Amino acid sequence: MEHFLRHFFVPHRSNNHRAKALHLDSMLCYVLLFAIFNFGVRIVHREFPNVLGYATDIRVDQLLSGTNAQRQSLGLSPLTYNVTLSQAAALKAQDMFQNNYWAHNSPQGKTPWTFIQAAGYTYTVAGENLAKNFSTSQGVIDAWMASPTHRDNIVKPSYQDIGFAIVNGVLNGEETTLVVQMFGAGGSKLADEKPVQTVVTEKAAVVEVNQEQSQLGEQTSKDVEEQVVPPTEIVPVAQAEPTPILNVLSTMFSSVIQTPKINIPTVTRDVAFLFMGLLIGILVIDGIVVSRKKIVRVTGHNLGHILFFTAFFIALTIVRRGVLL
Amino acid sequence: MKLSHVNYIVLLIILVTGIWTFWGAQNDKTMQLYIGVATAITYVIWGMLYHSLEGDLHPKVVIEYCLVGMIAIVLLLTILWT
Repeated sequence: MEHFLRHFFVPHRSNNHRAKALHLDSMLCYVLLFAIFNFGVRIVHREFPNVLGYATDIRVDQLLSGTNAQRQSLGLSPLTYNVTLSQAAALKAQDMFQNNYWAHNSPQGKTPWTFIQAAGYTYTVAGENLAKNFSTSQGVIDAWMASPTHRDNIVKPSYQDIGFAIVNGVLNGEETTLVVQMFGAGGSKLADEKPVQTVVTEKAAVVEVNQEQSQLGEQTSKDVEEQVVPPTEIVPVAQAEPTPILNVLSTMFSSVIQTPKINIPTVTRDVAFLFMGLLIGILVIDGIVVSRKKIVRVTGHNLGHILFFTAFFIALTIVRRGVLL
Repeated sequence: MKLSHVNYIVLLIILVTGIWTFWGAQNDKTMQLYIGVATAITYVIWGMLYHSLEGDLHPKVVIEYCLVGMIAIVLLLTILWT
């Protein structure tokens, strides 16, 4: 065992004075093993999503209370949950999955206001925040508040109503949890209705969205987007009654809760960071031993490799699952 | 100033620039991937130039730098896309 460890980690005659872990064939193995690991994670996730998946717990009631807590901390009035705006948010989320895009305006030219009007909400001012691939409701709120443009929407005094849709589906070929937050003022017959508290597992939503999604191409990753543009136009449209189908939509998309046995982001980060730490450690040991023994060999510079991997280590700590646009 | 010092200062500038731009692209994972790949390619070029200037550029060294760059990219993919 001792011989094996020395052979693998420390420069020695047995390994031609270069830790075996740093030989070219070993490095090639790392590349292949990580490629297999990545594909393996995807395949296992696809076949057994309850075992290996993305832990998510985002709920409308938490988003509502989190948003209002931010407003009230600034002395602003809390927003009232509005079913019609939630229906608009659900329509927007569905449209994003169906047409495979991640933007405020659809490729067909639909704006957020298109969905708000389609749901039957009459507004004098409205706005939209989008988010994707966050794990928790608080994570979404924190990210929005950290982004000046999203924050502006949350703390805009003129808004009175708010609606949400939380939807899981496939965007750009990646499992994606979308959060659509819509703001408005101007009145709606359903403006005073209570928040939908029903917790629906995302399964139903996923199935529905995926069915539509399978007919289309694919699209993207896991992040947060927002819309800042609060239109000021007055829409002289008669208030429309939300249809039963729309009511069902807003209820279905009131939460996404997933509790897989193994959380993919956790396991991949642990494996990647452990490996990088180990590799940097081996490079340091190798460099020290070679320097002390004044061994001359034809290899790359350990110091360069150490700096390079350290830079990547730092960069990878920056990566977040949820993203703001 | 010794040549090796200059080379490592250049490397530090490359890496700090890479981290800085990577951080700036926090909301665009595709862009982060491009930045990571660009930084890795730049590192490989830096390594080859460094060894070339020192007069000990060898095919094994070139392969080593390429593999180091590939390891970094595959780790980046692991974090970004899973």
